[in-house]
Amino acid sequence: MLVRDVMHAPVVTIDAGATLEEANALMWEQGIRHLPVVENGRVVGILTDRDVRLATSELSPMPYKPHTRVEEVMTTPVLTADPMDPVEEAARVMRDRKIGSLPVLDGRELVGIITGIDLLDALVALTGARLPSGRVEVRLPDRPGKLARLAQFFAERGINIHSLLTYPDEAGYVRNVLRVGSLETRKLAEELREAGFEVLWPPEKPWSR
Amino acid sequence: MVPVVYRPEYLRYDFGPQHPFSPRRLEMLVELLELLDPEFAPVAPPQAAREEVLGVHAERYVRRVEAASRGETGADLAEYGLGTSDTPVFAGMDEAARWLAGGTAHAARMVARGEARRVLQLGGGLHHAQFDRASGFCVYNDLALALRVFLEEGLRVLYVDVDVHHGDGVQWLFYRDPRVLTLSLHESGRYLYPGTGGVFEIGQGEGTGYSWNGPLEPFTEDASYLATFERLFDKALAWFLPDVILVQAGADAHYLDPLADLLLTTRAYERVFARLLEGAERYTAGRIVFTLGGGYSFDAAVRVWTLLYFALQGRAAPERLPEDWRRRWEDRLGVRLGPSLRDEEGPPEVPRRGEIERYNEGNALRLLDTVKKYLMKG
Repeated sequence: MLVRDVMHAPVVTIDAGATLEEANALMWEQGIRHLPVVENGRVVGILTDRDVRLATSELSPMPYKPHTRVEEVMTTPVLTADPMDPVEEAARVMRDRKIGSLPVLDGRELVGIITGIDLLDALVALTGARLPSGRVEVRLPDRPGKLARLAQFFAERGINIHSLLTYPDEAGYVRNVLRVGSLETRKLAEELREAGFEVLWPPEKPWSR
Repeated sequence: MVPVVYRPEYLRYDFGPQHPFSPRRLEMLVELLELLDPEFAPVAPPQAAREEVLGVHAERYVRRVEAASRGETGADLAEYGLGTSDTPVFAGMDEAARWLAGGTAHAARMVARGEARRVLQLGGGLHHAQFDRASGFCVYNDLALALRVFLEEGLRVLYVDVDVHHGDGVQWLFYRDPRVLTLSLHESGRYLYPGTGGVFEIGQGEGTGYSWNGPLEPFTEDASYLATFERLFDKALAWFLPDVILVQAGADAHYLDPLADLLLTTRAYERVFARLLEGAERYTAGRIVFTLGGGYSFDAAVRVWTLLYFALQGRAAPERLPEDWRRRWEDRLGVRLGPSLRDEEGPPEVPRRGEIERYNEGNALRLLDTVKKYLMKG
């Protein structure tokens, strides 16, 4: 999943010479929190709703006036993403720097913006059930070919894997959460166990009949 | 006599001998009801017409079902959820699905026209079928056809789905419609098919606030299930004031069910059925339609639905099952069947009970807090 898959476009921007009052009105109108600041068609900074509020707050030691120019308050230089960056890379930058968005630049051209909300959407897509599906959770030794064997198991039965999330478990093991196109996950779990897999969900149900 | 809708053609809805949605369950049930009630005389409903199915499903989907039904296999069947391991195609699939759909629509018509107050459709409940997709054993959404019948008569409907799986097909088909309040209690989509049915799926547009979901933790038992059910059902009646109730009475939340993880006994089902009937008496002049649904334990499902039959008839159910019926079906199916109608045993001890109850209750409260303002706006 790349930044271009989850970013949104077109981007609402503001001119470096506009006032804080104008920037504030624009963010309210558009229901957005981040404004890339442009000058002569180039991104020179970024201004957030929080920047505006803090800058103009009465509680600030030296409050800015509403007619202050955006370029005096904006953050510059601005951290940006490339459309080809992996999503996880963008997420890590945003997490490490504690920032809410990255303007996406193709060369010097602003082509989109990725925000925390877009990353939440990506998380939902990665973990969620976009299509009706059942959940199977399998613990695999963290070794080459183990996941391939698991995928092969579903392929042989003609069952589609809608999503697959893997994350490290205790030393030497990986947890795999699959959403598969079948209601009969318990039958699959039984067969997986017979084939030697360690199935964490669905659990055995010896009393059913 | 409360009318029962059924015809032997329902048994043609058959995905093959290895498939859990077996028509043998229905065959067992009908035989048992004939033995237990000499007056058992079901009404034979008409088949749903193609036009009626098109009131709910996309024509391109219906064309695929018809083609598959004739044995033609197109390359794009899987895009329509057909020919999958859950919903394989079989000869006569379109006709069989229209028999079931016709039955549920007919049951709704009987109530909408005032010919009956309570009706039991002995079949149907195919709540996963979507606008343009078969899903989870369901081809045509018979419940949605019935809902259309009610809406055409100007009736507002409370749809109650106690199948252990989320009633996603019905929910999405009426997601923007404030004339239908869908209430589904199910094992949490985090663990069970189809994965949806979270507390915050509350509807869209005009229909915001009119989709209610009570996701339940795996290993939920009678007490917590009943507390959640009563809390949500009572509020749905009081806030929505429906004209009629449609119930999908799947029996797969029973502890013996092989496909899911809830731990209900027949005692909980009897309480749920009684509560539904009382609710109908108090709020909808008794108007209520029941369908069957999921329920994959031959033993449990047939007993739960027999209890439903007697609850609807307002008569005491017998304690023992006829021995010859039980032996015959045990031999035929190769499974053990309990000797009495109600459970004599129960589920195993649940170590996490307190945590499960707390979480279920919290979810029900969050749901009510979220939807209240949409229903109470007037």
